Amino acid sequence: MIIVVDGLNRHLFSEVLDEMFELRARVFGERLGWDVTIEDGKEIDEFDHLDPTYVIGFDDRGNVVAAVRALQTTGPHMLADVFSAILDGEPPIRSATMWESTRFCVDTQRLTRGKGENSLSYATCELMIGSLEYAINAGVQDIITVIDPVMDRVLRRSNCAPYDYVGKTVPMGKVSALAALVDCTEERIASLREFADIQDSVFLEEEEALALFNSKKLVEPSVANRDHKPLTQLEKYFVEQMNAAKTENERQDVLRLIETLSDKFTPEQKTALLGTPRAFAHEA
Amino acid sequence: MEIIDLSTLPGTEARYTEFLKRVCDKFEMDHAAYAGMNPSEGKVAGHVTYNDDWKEHYQKHDLVMIDPTLHMAKRSIAPVDWSRLERSQNFQRVFRDAHDFGLPSQGVTIPVRGPYGDIGFLSVTRDCPKEEWRKLYTHVISDLQSMAVHIHDNVITSDEFAGALYHPNLSTREAEILQWVAAGKSQQDIGDILSISHRTVEVHLRSSREKLCALTTPQAVGRAIAVGLIGTG
Repeated sequence: MIIVVDGLNRHLFSEVLDEMFELRARVFGERLGWDVTIEDGKEIDEFDHLDPTYVIGFDDRGNVVAAVRALQTTGPHMLADVFSAILDGEPPIRSATMWESTRFCVDTQRLTRGKGENSLSYATCELMIGSLEYAINAGVQDIITVIDPVMDRVLRRSNCAPYDYVGKTVPMGKVSALAALVDCTEERIASLREFADIQDSVFLEEEEALALFNSKKLVEPSVANRDHKPLTQLEKYFVEQMNAAKTENERQDVLRLIETLSDKFTPEQKTALLGTPRAFAHEA
Repeated sequence: MEIIDLSTLPGTEARYTEFLKRVCDKFEMDHAAYAGMNPSEGKVAGHVTYNDDWKEHYQKHDLVMIDPTLHMAKRSIAPVDWSRLERSQNFQRVFRDAHDFGLPSQGVTIPVRGPYGDIGFLSVTRDCPKEEWRKLYTHVISDLQSMAVHIHDNVITSDEFAGALYHPNLSTREAEILQWVAAGKSQQDIGDILSISHRTVEVHLRSSREKLCALTTPQAVGRAIAVGLIGTG
C-alpha cells in the first residue's frame, strides 16, 4: 500500500521516512555502489531538504519496501545538478507539467520473486501506480526518471516501458544510470493494474498508514528487550511481581497495573512486559 | 477571451492583473491571485483580481505573513487544494476574514519553484458545490500549472538582475526541434526525422516554450530566432 509524504505531512511520518532513508542506504550505497552520503545508516542528500514529495510503499506487515522521490523540473533538481553527466553537458528539460523522479528503489532482500503481494514485481507496480496517479492529480503529464538498467528492465517487464530516453547511459558505482521518460496517462496506469492484478485504490489514508507502520512493532517476536539494556526499576518491579503471582487473578492484577502505567513505557517495553515472565526470564 | 502571452501585453504592472482576469475567464474561476518571492529583491510581489477592500485589509493586517495558502504550498511540489489546510489556526484566521469580504474558501494554490530560489504561487478560487469543483479541478489543473509558470517567469524576469540569470538555455535537441518547426515540419515529421517518439518532441517543445517564456510554439520560435538561438528556417 502507498502513502504520499510531502512537506505538509512529513512531521507525522518521521519514522517512516527514516526507514525509507535506511532502505535507500542499502540500495544505493551497498547494492548499487553509488557515491552517496550515508550517515547513521541513512542515505540523505541536499535534495531531501527541499521538501520533495516521497511516494512510499509498504508490504502487508508495514515494512517500507519501495520508495521514490519527486521534484519539480522548474526548480532545483538532480538532472540539473549532480546527474548532469547523463545529459552530457546539455541543459535539462524544464516544464511545469514534468516532474523528475529519483531514488526509485525497492527492497530486493525483503520482497519475494513471483507476482503475488509482497513480491518485487507487485511492489514496483504499486509504487508506479501511486506515483502516476499522484502526478496526474497534480496536472503533471510526464515524469523523467533516473534509474539503473535493472530498474529499467523491471519497468519493461511490468507493462510500463518508458516511451523514450534522454541523454546517455553513464557508469555510476557498480552499475550505470540513465534518464527515462514515462507518460502520466490512464492507459499506462491501466496496463500496470492489469499486469499486477490491482483493482482497488493503492493509497492509504494518513491514519491507516501510521497504524500499518506501527503494527509491526507489536508483533516482532524478538522485540522483548532486544537491546539487552539494563531493566529500569519499574520494569524489575513488574517482572518480580509477575514471577511472584501465584493465581490467575494475581497475574491479571499485575497486567492491569502495567496497562494503567502505560505512559511510563515505550510500546516495546510494554509488549515485553506483558509477555513476562517468559520475555525476561534470563534477565530478572 | 483568449489567454494571451504576458510579454505581448503593454509593459505595466496592470498586465499581470489583466492576465489573471483572462485566466479566470478561460478556466471558469471567480478569482485568481499571484504571489512571488524573489530572493534577489527579498520581497513579495503580488497581483490579484480581488477587490480593493480585501487587498487593503490583507495588507493592513499583514496576512501574507500567516496566509496558509502560501506557507503550506511553499512546502509542496504539487498544487495544494485548500481543503487540505482547513484544520490549521492560520487558515481559520485568514479565511474567516476572507469570508467577511465575500470571498470563497474553495480553491487551490499552485506552487512554482524557480531555479534560483525564487518561488511563486498562483491561486484560483471558485464558489460552487464540491463535486463540481473536483470536476473543474481535474479538467483545468494541467493548464493552470503552465499558467502558473508563465506568470512567475514573467514577473521574475522583469527584475533586471534575476532576468539576466534567467536567459533561455535551450539544449541542442530543443534548438534542433524548434529549427524544424521553423522550417514548417509537423511534430509527427520531426519525430520521424530525429527517430524519437512524438511525445518526446512534445516534451521538448513544452520545455522550449517555458524557457523562452512563451505560451505558444510560434511565439517560442519567433523569440528563439530573435535572440539568435536558431536560424530563420
